[in-house]
Amino acid sequence: MHTSLKSPCHIVYVVVLNILVSATMLIGQIRPAVGIRQNTPSVHAFTNTRIVIAPGKVIERGTLVIRDGVITAVGVNIPVPADARVWDMSGMTLYPGFIDSYSDIGVPKKPIAGGPPGQDQPKPQEQQRGGPKHWNDMVLSSLNADELFSPDTKAAEKLRGMGFTAALIVPQKGIFRGTGAVVSLGDGATNQLLLKRHVAQCIAFETSSGDDYPGSLMGSIALIRQTFLDAQWHKQAMQAAAKYPDEPRPEFVADLAALDDAVTAKQPVIVETSDEMSLLRASRIAKEFSLKFWARGSGYEYRQIDAVKATGVPIILPVNFPDPPSVQTPEEALGVSLQELRYWDEAPENPGKLHDAGIPFVFTTATLKDAGSFLGNVRKAIERGLPADAALAALTTIPSQLLGLEKKLGTLDAGKMANIIVADGDIFNEKTKIRETWIDGKRYEVKSKPEYDPRGTWNALLTGAPIDSLSIILKGEVEGLQGNVKAKGKDVKLTSASSSDLRIALSFLGDSIGLSGIVRMTATSSGKNFLGSGELADGKIFKWNANRTEPFKPEADTAKPKLPVMASFKPVYPPGAFGRSKLPAQPDHLLIRGATIWTCGPQGKLENANILVEHGKITKVGQNLATPVDAVIIDGKGKHITPGLIDCHSHSAAEGNVNEANEAISAEVRIGDILDPYDISIYRELAGGLTAANVLHGSANAIGGQNQVIKLRWGALPEEMKFEGAMPGIKFALGENPKQSNWGDKYTTRYPQTRQGVEQIIRDEFRAALDYEKTWKEFESGKRKIPPRHDLRAETILEILKGKRLVHSHSYRQDEIEMLMRVAEDFGFRVATFQHVLEGYKVADQIAKHGAGASTFSDWWGYKFEVYDAIPYNGAIMHDAGVVVSFNSDSDEQARRLNTEAAKAVKYGGLSEEEALKFVTINPAQQLRIDKRVGSIEVGKDADLAIWNGNPLSTYSICEQTWIDGRKYFDRDEDRAMNGEVQHERAALIQKALGSKKGSGSESKSPPSMGEKERYSCHDDVSGKEER
Amino acid sequence: MKTLNNIFVLFALILPSFGALVASEIPGKPQDHPIALVGGTVHTVSGAVVESGTILFEKGKITSIGTDVTLPQGTESIDMTGKHVYPGMVDARSEIGLVEIDAARATRDVSEVGTINPNIRAEVAMNPESEIIPVTRANGITTALTMPSGGTISGTAAAIMLDGWTWEEMTLKAPAGLVVNWPSMTITKAWWERRTEDEQKKARDKALDELRDAFRDARAYMKAKQAELQKNIPYHKTDLRWEAMIPMLEGKVPVLVNAEEIQQIEAAIAWAEQEGLKLVILGGYDSWRVADLLKAKDVSVIVNPIHRTPWRRWEPYDVQFTIPKKLHDAGVRFCIASGGASNERNLPYQAATAASYGLPKDEALKAVTLYPAQILGVGDRVGSLEVGKDATLIVTNGDPLEITTNVLMEFIQGKTISLQSRHTHFYEKYQEKYRRIGSVK
Repeated sequence: MHTSLKSPCHIVYVVVLNILVSATMLIGQIRPAVGIRQNTPSVHAFTNTRIVIAPGKVIERGTLVIRDGVITAVGVNIPVPADARVWDMSGMTLYPGFIDSYSDIGVPKKPIAGGPPGQDQPKPQEQQRGGPKHWNDMVLSSLNADELFSPDTKAAEKLRGMGFTAALIVPQKGIFRGTGAVVSLGDGATNQLLLKRHVAQCIAFETSSGDDYPGSLMGSIALIRQTFLDAQWHKQAMQAAAKYPDEPRPEFVADLAALDDAVTAKQPVIVETSDEMSLLRASRIAKEFSLKFWARGSGYEYRQIDAVKATGVPIILPVNFPDPPSVQTPEEALGVSLQELRYWDEAPENPGKLHDAGIPFVFTTATLKDAGSFLGNVRKAIERGLPADAALAALTTIPSQLLGLEKKLGTLDAGKMANIIVADGDIFNEKTKIRETWIDGKRYEVKSKPEYDPRGTWNALLTGAPIDSLSIILKGEVEGLQGNVKAKGKDVKLTSASSSDLRIALSFLGDSIGLSGIVRMTATSSGKNFLGSGELADGKIFKWNANRTEPFKPEADTAKPKLPVMASFKPVYPPGAFGRSKLPAQPDHLLIRGATIWTCGPQGKLENANILVEHGKITKVGQNLATPVDAVIIDGKGKHITPGLIDCHSHSAAEGNVNEANEAISAEVRIGDILDPYDISIYRELAGGLTAANVLHGSANAIGGQNQVIKLRWGALPEEMKFEGAMPGIKFALGENPKQSNWGDKYTTRYPQTRQGVEQIIRDEFRAALDYEKTWKEFESGKRKIPPRHDLRAETILEILKGKRLVHSHSYRQDEIEMLMRVAEDFGFRVATFQHVLEGYKVADQIAKHGAGASTFSDWWGYKFEVYDAIPYNGAIMHDAGVVVSFNSDSDEQARRLNTEAAKAVKYGGLSEEEALKFVTINPAQQLRIDKRVGSIEVGKDADLAIWNGNPLSTYSICEQTWIDGRKYFDRDEDRAMNGEVQHERAALIQKALGSKKGSGSESKSPPSMGEKERYSCHDDVSGKEER
Repeated sequence: MKTLNNIFVLFALILPSFGALVASEIPGKPQDHPIALVGGTVHTVSGAVVESGTILFEKGKITSIGTDVTLPQGTESIDMTGKHVYPGMVDARSEIGLVEIDAARATRDVSEVGTINPNIRAEVAMNPESEIIPVTRANGITTALTMPSGGTISGTAAAIMLDGWTWEEMTLKAPAGLVVNWPSMTITKAWWERRTEDEQKKARDKALDELRDAFRDARAYMKAKQAELQKNIPYHKTDLRWEAMIPMLEGKVPVLVNAEEIQQIEAAIAWAEQEGLKLVILGGYDSWRVADLLKAKDVSVIVNPIHRTPWRRWEPYDVQFTIPKKLHDAGVRFCIASGGASNERNLPYQAATAASYGLPKDEALKAVTLYPAQILGVGDRVGSLEVGKDATLIVTNGDPLEITTNVLMEFIQGKTISLQSRHTHFYEKYQEKYRRIGSVK
């Protein structure tokens, strides 16, 4: 149905556009003439000019002819049409007009962002949008930039001044923002400026600034995923509805219909990215839906150049190179991270590196604080390794092809729109000025070429002045005159000098040459002479005339050519402090000899024992192992070896808010979508012997999001951190957090507000998932004709019911623990773990009977009402009752010392040291169903090991090495060396920054400074990272 | 379960009249007869470790320590063979008794309205019934500096003993310090900061002015009040705020300046010198970067806490763990504090972490006993085992900085202290549940 609504429109527009484009000069084709008709002929010939037809295609001296806005001829021996107006372009170079491939010109701007989520701010969405719109205000896919566009003459003039003649304009609000359109940057009505509409659907990972869904990055990604699925469904459902009019009709959603072309890859999808991880995320979604994907880049791509190249995505690239960081005082410099310093040092090489890697890109002025810095930054990129032709291509031919306007834009070949830049030299030379920009054959003056060059030495004769003659030397630039006057053997510098058209004006301090005070002189050139007057300090007027006695001779450029200062250091992963240039090696054989080994397995604790690791797997554990010839040997004398520690409740390595807190159920959101491999917590936790973590959604919702089990592979990409084959899971939450008890006085209206409500909303969701499954079965059996939609929320819940997804439930009080066990039993599944479960000791027998694991804090209590009964004996009591118990951190800080957390099970409850250590090794592995791979030192398991300088449960012991997959990811000695590197690099880059000038005018992505962590560490249940 | 059972047996012996049903612990009786702990290892902290020693205390004061102590008539002699005696630990930064449940507003008494509240006194709202008190002292912490927070001048802190019927009885010293929060000196560009750089600078300057003005106004007040003693000087109306600041202006009580970043610490030192104040730095994240200055100006640092992550991405992972070592090496006076409320009991383990990252073990012990006592001006009463000091001490089965060690007995000013708490009561209650269903013997 909707197809028939839309397609004809589309065709009509294409036809209209073709007429528009080829007949722009015919103003009034539709509109009746107003006043007297203006019919200045529009035939022009540019002669004696250098013409860059396309990158690498240059005519050193030729002619270009345009007629009615279209280039009709270009070449060396082109006859000038008799009716043409001739422009002598000697000394000028013509370039094809530039294309800005991502612009907000003329479309409503984004509201100013900033501030923590949850604070009252104007909503970015269209408040009063009517029609059959999407339920979510962030899905605005049916908007079209061309309909939102109203010409902005001031901004257009600014862009033209840098050579831009056309731009892809994109809507600026929401997640699905609507389609972009290409407009010409000339003056006129939208009808005349519009070149192409519906170019691409534009998407951004935006979050709601209010309390609407989605409030987190992962929620935003989940909404994008669901919306594409819905768009696929919508199309099928509409077709089915047309075929089966007697079936209940599906809803019509214009914002889904508008995605028809995007989901069938007929229309590209541009995703606005904020850094290289954001680009990789976007790429995964694009791949999932086989989209035709373009990325609005960020400038950070070079940091993962291989991964970016592997996506194959064309990038619309900003040139927002950061200002030098603030390092004026040593104290100030402490606030600047090495990552930030390196980014400042390396960013201008991003375009060059993309080019070298063969990644297609086009340029945009987007993200520049001052669009006026664009050309300067492109020049900087060229200086730092980008070939000039590649820069030109990224502004002309490549965007014209990408945007499907290669027949109209991009080169100065005959038949193209007459979009031309007139520059007085090589456009990428910093001294070159753009003089004119022609769009559709219409001339827009940027900076007029001086009519007259007054430079040289002039002999002036004065009448009515105390002296009779003086000589005037004018030099410098015509538009920046300098010089001096000489008389009586004295030489005085001009205090001002300027020329305009045929007039000049000078002033100087005349006392030393016999003219009192400040002398002002003006004159008009009459060919070879100046004729004018001057005024002395006493107001006396004199007359003067002058002849040029010597022509201007430019001073030889004695300055040595400036060598570009390239980035100082080689890339490391992750970028910045403690990154590595490559993955730690995996020795074929690794032998740890003579150590105390806490196997956490059937072998118990072995004294003076060995571990043999082959290709990342443990192959032997015991005494007197033979040493393979090539083995890397670790002397374990005095050392204690434990399995790598496992944190069953972590929020490390996640980007953005870990709570999609704006809905009580958010089963569709995935921590796996937002892994942040640059999180320094990963490295710090490795330093505490941690090797795996269960990264969980927060506890704001009764049913939260999907968790992600990771290995702490520092330096890897997000997908490489994921624990291969780990069973999927989901976070549930009970009690005060989902019922918003501590969220503040405002939060009293979301369902649920009671523990009873939490129970009901969970039951309701399970019932709904079963109903959903039934609906699909009815469709599959032919009972229903119109396909149901794929509901990712319901499908996730169904996975729980089918035993394919583990439930990790945040819980405190015994009543809610029992409640969830009963709900689970009613629906036929088992809760995998209760998280925190601080009153688990009160119902330990029940938990054991149900078969849930308990992942608790060693001794946290009292921070809110529902944990007032928490006791540190909890772990031991549950353990004694037969529950598999782990101690978790829920904290980037505590995750660094889980070994001593385990010791608290010895102190409070009297467990043996070996049993206690299992709370942070094999027990969490069992809870996460990864115990076949990790959690104990047993033959066949992954070589994930921690090496301690003493008993791992002693508060005086520290971790010396941490191994994952038989690779050494942490070594205390190496850490000291890396720290030395960090200090060295920082010092070098701070010196470099101190020696550099400010002023590229970009909007740098400022890293979090001191204080951010503090916000995280408050036990704030809504936005805190540690959310107990 | 063995260790634990022993502890409970011990409770039963010492405190036969306090059953597990007591909701909150009953304070210890004033010492009415001499007590001698005989044959244990006595860790005096201030002096040598006395092996197989005896410590004798009477009427709440230590009267003798040694290997050859004559016990007066009527002395209760307790065999300490294989056990260790230490001074009770002192936590120099706490909210104990002022906050019961952090998230429950009604149970928080730490932050008064307004920014200049020097007249707010921590001790007057110290709740002796707080369940956190028995939980904390069960790990050997016997003294805490409990303090208000918030604003620019939060109020005065009080050193309290973790046993007693009323706050007055429990207060060891008040005021023990005036809490000042040094304004943030850095301009942040973080995502959550909505103020512009200029607005941040203005806010900072305003807070700094307010702080300077408060001290100058208080000094003017002090001068005017003192002048009243002279002839023809009229009476000046009372200002409770400035009245409360006189001991600090006179240099009798330290100003505890909460300062973390280097700019804050440097500015606080300059300010305190200008104002002639006795300065103690609270927090001190960057203190090691200005160790020489701290040493030169004899400014002490209450390092708090040890267990937190580096704030700057580029800093070493153990930057916080190594602060005490660096201050110690530079000769700066320091101690280690928990800063906590409910988990203040983990104070000794923070000191142990500092030791595992380079601070000598005996210094780590001092950092939670003698040093905080000295910094808080109660070094003559607590923090070490010396004749004449309060008999505030603990008996353990090992190094109290090891998690696996347990406190077996505790005395505060000679009073025998219950080591039970809300936690042991719940433990006992549910042991009974599982005994009844047969899963625990």
